[in-house]
Formats: sequence, C-alpha cells, structure tokens
Amino acid sequence: MWTYVARRLLQSVFVIVGVTVISFVALHMGGDPTYLFVSERATAEEIAETRAKLGFDRPLPEQYLSFAAGLVQGDLGNSLTYKTPALDVIALHFPATLELTIVAIILAIVISVPLGILAALKRGTAIDGGIMTLAMFGQSMPSFWLGIMMILFIGLGLGWLPISGHVPVLEPLLAGDFGKAFGNIPAAATYVLMPALTVAFFSISRNARLVRSSMLEVLGQDFIRPARAQGLAEREVVVGHALRNAWLPVVTMIGLEFGFMLSGVVVVETIFSWPGLGRLVFNAINQRDIPLVQAAVVVFAVTFVTLNLIVDLIYARLDPRIRLT
Amino acid sequence: MTATSEPMTAGQPQDAVPLDDWRRTLRRAWRSLVRARWPLVALLILAVVGLAAAIGPSVAPRDPNRQAIMARLKPPMAVDRQGKVDYVLGTDALGRDVLSRLIYGARISVVVGLAAVVIGGILGTVLGLVAGYFGGWIDDIIMRIADIQLAFPFILLAIMFLIVLGPGVWNLIIILGIGQWVTYARIARGQTIAQREKEYVDAAKALGARTSTILFQTILPNILAPLTVIASFNVASVILSEAALSFLGLGVPPTVPTWGGMLAESREQLLAGRWWLAIFPGVAIMATVLSFNILGDWLRDFLDPRLQTTG
Amino acid sequence: MPSSLRNPPVNGDAHMKRRLALALAGIAAAPAMALAQAPGPNTLVVGYGTDASTLDPADISSRDTANIAQHIWGTLFQVTAEGKIVPYLADSYTESEDGTKLTFKLKPGLTCHDGEKLTAEDVAYTFQRAADPNLKFTGNTPGFVFSSLGYRSIRAVDDTTVELTIAKYNPIALGMVGEVYIHCKDSYEKMTKEQAAQKPIGSGPYKFVEWVRSDRIVIEKVPGYTVRPANFEKVVWRVIPEASTRTAELLAGNVDIITNVAPDQIDTVNKSPRAKVQAVSGTRRIYVGFNQKEMFGNTEGGKAIRNAKVRNALQYAIDVPAICAQLLNTKCERATSLVNPPNGNPDLKPYPYDPKMAEKLLDEAGFPKKNGVRFEIVLQSPRGRYLNDANVALAIGQYLTDVGVKTDVQLMEWASVYVPLIRKKEAGPMFLLGTGGGTWNALYDMADLSTPTAGTNYTNWEDPEFFSGWAELSQKRPEAEQRATINRMLKIFYERGPWLLMYFQPDFYGVSNRVDWNARRDEKIYINEAKLK
Repeated sequence: MWTYVARRLLQSVFVIVGVTVISFVALHMGGDPTYLFVSERATAEEIAETRAKLGFDRPLPEQYLSFAAGLVQGDLGNSLTYKTPALDVIALHFPATLELTIVAIILAIVISVPLGILAALKRGTAIDGGIMTLAMFGQSMPSFWLGIMMILFIGLGLGWLPISGHVPVLEPLLAGDFGKAFGNIPAAATYVLMPALTVAFFSISRNARLVRSSMLEVLGQDFIRPARAQGLAEREVVVGHALRNAWLPVVTMIGLEFGFMLSGVVVVETIFSWPGLGRLVFNAINQRDIPLVQAAVVVFAVTFVTLNLIVDLIYARLDPRIRLT
Repeated sequence: MTATSEPMTAGQPQDAVPLDDWRRTLRRAWRSLVRARWPLVALLILAVVGLAAAIGPSVAPRDPNRQAIMARLKPPMAVDRQGKVDYVLGTDALGRDVLSRLIYGARISVVVGLAAVVIGGILGTVLGLVAGYFGGWIDDIIMRIADIQLAFPFILLAIMFLIVLGPGVWNLIIILGIGQWVTYARIARGQTIAQREKEYVDAAKALGARTSTILFQTILPNILAPLTVIASFNVASVILSEAALSFLGLGVPPTVPTWGGMLAESREQLLAGRWWLAIFPGVAIMATVLSFNILGDWLRDFLDPRLQTTG
Repeated sequence: MPSSLRNPPVNGDAHMKRRLALALAGIAAAPAMALAQAPGPNTLVVGYGTDASTLDPADISSRDTANIAQHIWGTLFQVTAEGKIVPYLADSYTESEDGTKLTFKLKPGLTCHDGEKLTAEDVAYTFQRAADPNLKFTGNTPGFVFSSLGYRSIRAVDDTTVELTIAKYNPIALGMVGEVYIHCKDSYEKMTKEQAAQKPIGSGPYKFVEWVRSDRIVIEKVPGYTVRPANFEKVVWRVIPEASTRTAELLAGNVDIITNVAPDQIDTVNKSPRAKVQAVSGTRRIYVGFNQKEMFGNTEGGKAIRNAKVRNALQYAIDVPAICAQLLNTKCERATSLVNPPNGNPDLKPYPYDPKMAEKLLDEAGFPKKNGVRFEIVLQSPRGRYLNDANVALAIGQYLTDVGVKTDVQLMEWASVYVPLIRKKEAGPMFLLGTGGGTWNALYDMADLSTPTAGTNYTNWEDPEFFSGWAELSQKRPEAEQRATINRMLKIFYERGPWLLMYFQPDFYGVSNRVDWNARRDEKIYINEAKLK
C-alpha cells in the first residue's frame, strides 16, 4: 500500500505543476494587472514605475520560475490587493468554506441516503415516485435561484433564519479557543443552514437517486439471496449486507463532491455574504490578483489530491475485491 | 455548478449489439418509451423546445433585442390604453419582450448545451479510446492531464478563461465542452480496456485492420451506450452551468438572449415582486433540464435491463 | 415552476401561484419578524459591497477602502459635503509667494490611537514613508496625490509646524493634501509592511478593532476625541456583495445604511416601514467618448465622429432624462460639460432630446440615410462597473440606431479587458466611461484634458483652441480671474467636444429610519456624523 501512496504522491506533483502553469498562462493572457494599481490620471512613467514595483516588468518565464522557487519553499508571494502573504489570506478564508462544504456534504448524506434506501425498499410505490420526482426537480434547478428564493421567503418573509453572514466555529477551534467555538455553534448553525442547503441541494437529489439504484442492484445480487435463505430478518439483510455494498458509489461520489461543491460555493458565498474561499478567488481573478489566485489553485489541487487518495484508501477497505497497485 | 456527472451508474452494455438489429432495437425502445410514460412526456417537451429553437425567429412576436424603455417591466397580459395586450409574457428591465426572448433563448440555450456536450463528448471519447487501447505512457499522459483538470474546480477554470477571452457564445461552448471531457474519457477508457481483449477485436486485428478502423469502427460502437447515457445527463448539467456563469456575469453577452442570462438578470427584480422575469425562463430551464434527466434515466434503464424499474 | 420545489410538485399550478403572490406581497409590505440580529442603540451597521483591500494608509487605493480608512485617520484638511475645504488636523496654512511652499500649523494636543503624541514630525514622516521607493507603495497617496500635487519634499519646522514643498503653484494643492492619512512615526516604524496592512494605528475619530476578512471591519469611538464628532460607539462595516441581499438585510432591520441600492429596488425600500433611499447626484461623470484616434479613421463610424458636426448632431439623439428616469430610477439633469455643477458654465443649457434635429444635422453633415442607416459604429461599454452601465449602453445604442446610426454595443469585462483598452486610448470609436470628479474646483474636473497627450484624454481630442486655454489659465492666480477663460473653454467643449454628454452618476444609499444621516455627492461616506433619530 505504501508504494501505492508514494506513486500517487509523485503523480500529484505533476498535477500541481500542471494547474499552476495553466492558471499562470490564463491569467497573463490578458496582460498584467498594473493598470488596476495606478490612478486614473497616472502618466506613462508612473505606470512603468508601478509595473516594476509589482514585479510584472520581468519576462514571463522568469516570473513563473520565481513563483515555482517560492512554491518549493512554501512561499507563494504576497497578494497584490491585501498586501499580505497570499497563503495567509487563503488561510483566513479557508475555514468558512470548509464549514460550508462539510455541512453541505453532511446534509447531502443524511438526507439523501435514507431517502434513497426508502425509495429502493418501497420501489414502485407512490413513496418511491414522490422521492424520485423531488430528486429530479432538485437536479434541475439553478442553485443561485434557490438561494435567492430562500433569502426572500425564509430569511426575509418568514424571518426564520438569518439572511446572510457567518459565525465562525472552525476558526476559533483551530486557534484553540474551544469555549468560543462551542459557544458559537448554535448561532453558527442558523447561519449555515440556508447556504449549505443551497450548495447541497443538487447533491442531495443526485445521491438519493444513486443510493436507490445501487441498493436495487445490490438487493438483486447473488450474495443477498443466501442471507435471506439463512432466515436473516429483512432489516438485517438491508443494514448488514445491502447497505454496506450500496455505500461504495456514495463514497466515491463524496471524493468528487468536494471539487464539485467548491464550484457551487462561488455563487452561494456571493448570495449569502459568506466570507469564504470561493468568493475570494472569484474576486481575485476579477482583480487579477495573480499571486492570490495561484496560491488558491495550489491549495485546491492539494486538497483535491489528498481527499481522493483518502477516498481511494477507504474504498479499498470497504471493498476487499479492490487491490491497490 | 454541475461539472461532473454520474459515471458510477452508467449502464454496462451486456453484449455488442449487431448493427442489423438496430431496427428491432428502435422498435423496442419506442415500446419502452410508451410504457414508461414520463420519458415520452420529456421527449415531447424537448420536441417543443427544439421546434422553438429551429423556427423561433419566424414565430416570435418581436425582435428580442428591440428595447422600449418607456414600456419596461410590464407584467404579463398587461392591457394598454387601447385595450390591447402588447406583451403576453410582459417586458424586462429594458422593455424587451419576454416571450420573444424566451423563444430566441431556446435556440442559444439548446445550442450551447448540445454543442458543449458534443465537443466534450468527442474529445473525451477519442482520448479515452486511445488511452484505453494503447495503455502505457500514452495512457499515463492522458490520465494525468485528466487529473490536472479534475484538481481544478471547473468554475475556476471557466471564470479564468471567460474573463480573459471575454463573453461570447463560442467561448462559452468551448469552455463548457472542455469542462466535460474527463468524464467521457474515463468511461471510454474503462470500457475500451474491457473490450480490447475480446475475441472480436482480436479477429479484426488478425484480419489486418488498421488501428484507426479497430478503434472507431470495431470498439467504438460497442462502448457507445454508457456514453450516450452520460451525454443526456450532461446536456442538463451544462444548461445549469450556463445559468450559473450568467449569474457571475460570465455567460453570453446580454444582447444574446439565453434562459440562464434572463434568469440571472431577474435577480434584482425578485425583491420588488416582478416574478414573471424569473418564472418564465426558470420554468423553461427546469422543464428542459428535467426532460434530459428523465430521458437519461430511461436510456440507462433501457440499455441495462438488470435495473429496469418503474421509470 | 422552480419555486414549487419545496412543496410537492403535484400541487396545482394555480395554488402555487397564489402562494407565491402572497409571499411576494408579504416581502414588499413588511418583513414579518427579524431575528435578534438588529444592531443596538450604540452600534451602527453599514452593509457594504466590497471588503477592504489593505489597511496600510500608504497603500490604500480604492474609494471603498478609503471610506473606512477616513474614519480611522485624520487628514490635514478636509473637503466638506458642500465642497468647501476646511482645516482638520491642521489649524491653518500659509503659502509662499511663488506657491511652491505650503506651511501648515497643527492643532495642539493631537494624539494617535496608541497614545503617541502627533506632531509635525509625524506629518512629515507620513509623506516620506509613502514616497519611500524601497517600500514600493502603490496606494492613492504615492500614486495619485503626489503626482497631482507635484510633491518634492516635506520637513518639520517645529513641533506643530510643517513645510511642504511642491514643484510649482498648484490650485488644487489643498484638496490633494486632504487625501493623505496622517499616522504616527513611532507606531509605524516598529511595524513591518505586512503588519501595517492588517493592524492600523490611526489618528481619527474611530479606532480599529477587528477585521474579519470578507466578512466585517469593526471600528470603535476614540474616547475624548474632539477634532471631529463621533456619535455611535461602534461602527460595523459588513461585507455584503450581492445587491439583493443588502436590500433584504436593510428591510429586515439588520443593517442601518447600505450602498448602491439597485435602482429597481428603490420603490420596494421606500414602501417598507424600515428604511428610505437617499438619492444623490454623484460627482462621477458618465459620458460616451468619441475616440478621435487614427486607428478608427478607416472605419465608417470612426471617420464620421471625427466630424464635429456629427458629434453635435448626436447630442440631440439621446434622451438622457428618460434614461435616468427609466433605467436609474431617478431624475437627473443632463451634463453640459465635463465639470460638476455648480462649477460649470452657467450660460450653457443641456441639449434637449430632439431626434428630428439630430436627423437634420446628420443630413447636413453629409450622412444621409440609406435603407434607414447612415453609418455603422461600435459602442463599447464595461459591464457591472457603473450603475446599470450595460443597460444604459444598450439604451444609447437603441437611441442612436433610431436616428440611423446603426450601433453595435459591445459589453466588456472591466479589469482585464476594458481598463487596458481605455488606458491605451484605444476604446471605441465610441465608449462609455465614468471618471471621478470633485465638487470643490472646476479645474480639478477639467484636468482630465490638461494636454492633448494627458493620460486621461481617452478620446485623443486635440482641439487647439480648447487646449490653448490652459496657457492662459496659468497666467492668472485667483479663481475669479480664471472664470472667463474657464467658461470659454467649456463652451468649446459643449459645442464640439469629444464627449456625448450624459449625466453625473446618481448614488443610492438605503438608510434605516432609525438613523439620521445624509449621503454626500462625492462618493465619500462619513459615518461619524450619523446619529439615532
């Protein structure tokens, strides 16, 4: 297994170099961002001077190499807008996004798995039909629309949940302030609910359908029949055998889910004023804060690679037929 | 954003379908469609959308870009002083006719959805076939590129390139297409690996067929089924992606009517209660996306008899 | 129907519609109940569109960050809402005969927030730090103020006297000095650049408390600060990027002041029991430039707009008051020049909307209609930069097309596409732009066209008669004597200038009914004067 892990890590170096080169080229395709850092009335000399201050007067390959050299030492340069190390800026925004994604993934699992199992067990009935119809609708709705509607109806109209904003839990937790972290949980829960539901809605629908079809597949398979023949209660068959096997596609999905949800958070963080990474990176691209975008891309890639490695390892645990090579 | 689809549930083809059986298969498909009911409804909806896309310009009551800022934000069925209804579905913030924009929008939305899937599908399938058939370093390189792309949240890639390239229908299609290829490549690769050791491939090799013939004429038809299923789900997710990019101001230019763009423009009007600006494009998107999803479901069940359910 | 998703979709369509209508009516009328997030009597919450970028006083460059910063730091002078320049940390100033030496006398007993005494040495340090090439600052002070000022050097004469040297006499010097945030030498010398970017130590009525990135900045009243008033104990700047969300928070009573209310939400706010919208005519000049650059000379439209008669004719083709009323939801007076009122030429009357006149003048200029089209032209515009910019550009395109000038409106992304184009003076041949102006001096606004090659002459206009006015102006010192020349230049600009005259951008602030606060015209926000009603 360790050789497998080592090989995967080697591959991930390739991946990280790849994503940084691509984003570097993409960001420089439209020229450098100097114009955004000079006043409306700047002269040509002042523009040139600012360009030099920002370091964009050097040839592109040289700029990339100095970025890569920094990357090896864990220094990704300073954000152009915040004027502080790009990694620090990301670290300040990461916990909020992580909270949102974790809650969304949890929602996506705890809502979708029971629904999917229920639909599979009641296959062909009105319950199955109802759940699957809902799931179909959930997969057909743009998330920003759902978010705005929730703000208008649940937040403003009914006043049940806060409209927007964020109460931190992970950040004080990481800082070692447990009292504050736990004290914040009740308030944080009310703030996170609407955005997390918006992010998770698509996944809930998709996973419910996924669980249902993989349950159906497992229930019809050979190894379930002897279990039934042995006189095991239906409940034990479902929980002990079928569910364990039906998990597999869901676990795989969760691995992909992270990257997928990161895509969703850009929109959701904007609507709900959630101080996370998605909106930060979107703004950074808009303002052409190249060091910040580069750092974010590296962080995303590392997270993705690590998560997928973990998922693959768990997968191997769950399914003894899979060998890691 | 919906960049990934569901490779896990793709049906596996039982056996290669001989080409002369196509007619019988089609007949079986039709019977299955009629029996399942909902897929038929979905097909009907898509036919309407397709019709609007095809002949839209000749049935739309107005030029979708003709503004009348003195007649802006008129609700549907508003009656003017002469007692006439000028705008059946109302007007938008620039006084453009919502109905006409909806009809023209069908064309762009459908073209964007289909074209992106075709681009992504062809690119991914070819790369997957090549990777799976040859294996070795070719496979390694293609799959590492796929990894790079997967490690990039799709929306980041899209934002980066769309900001630089500027909004435009073709830029959008290309970006959305590139966002899809990995899914197809992975499935095509897996399927090709499974097929390449089969007897009929060996037979083709023994008969001296060229590699390209083996790839595209021998193997491809036999791995097409799961790819078709993915494609139908994919059209749905691409249409949703277009809407999300429009929300971020990165869709097509506002002079080009699309459903996603209309829905994105409506967000400031919702608070003021101008529901028609959101409801009509919203319904259009949902009905279309839902139809593609339902059809995808049916197609999967149809191609994989083990899973045949109520539909 | 998307909103039915939270109900089982089997529900009847009519039923659903009724529920939707009810809910929307409920929103428009009165938000039911707010959660317990409403600010208390000592706290004011501002709903703000963007986060601050850096809080280093020498690196701050955006208006958005400056609005927060100007509560944390004091300045030597200050521009009032009425456009008057009044002393702030300075008590008085004198000017040398040739206008190159400005001597400021500080108010006694000033301190910085860390308790440090604020003296002339600190003022000198403030300027020197920003100008230090080793520190590579790119903020407003070194990047704009110093070049506009012609900054040479500064020195402390004694504890309360500081002498600033500039290149030559400068009529806008005081206004420029009023943009430099004064900070203490001892506090800032101790800090690294990175610390200074995050933990400011100020000299104004409010001191910095915390900055939660992308979420909020909290500032707190400085006890015993007497130079400027401050009423609320605590001010929270909440970052709420989405306009609809800001309005929703205002209607729910969770924020007191919001910026940039979407025009189509103004009526909703005004109808609510919680808040009202204040509309002010801002100082930002929105115009459509006619780019005279050679490169457009070989296009049909580019050639046409080099003809002064065509430019003049097109002024009559656009209904600016209608654009304001319909798309910006406010009344506005059409601009008569590039100068903000009340500093313009009082004899000039705004062009009326008269499409027949426009067509007549275009015929006379030698551009007759063929198949309804006189010539084709491209109008470029940013999207999402100015209030409703895309829609305004599209509407202008429609008006021009209506008089036979077939206009292709191209909407572009601001930062990476439009800005470089504008800076290279290659936008156009027609382009929509808004440039910042001031209320305190006509020359400040006119400096956009200080020479034909000025960086801000984005239209490449070269009219010799207009530009010769500047030589005349430099001979005359008191503003009263300059007036005749200014008026003559503005008249030339009005008749054959390179701008399709539009409007001064209105700004919309949503203000809670519990707060007494007045919005200013110059995009500056001063919260310290706000109080509970």
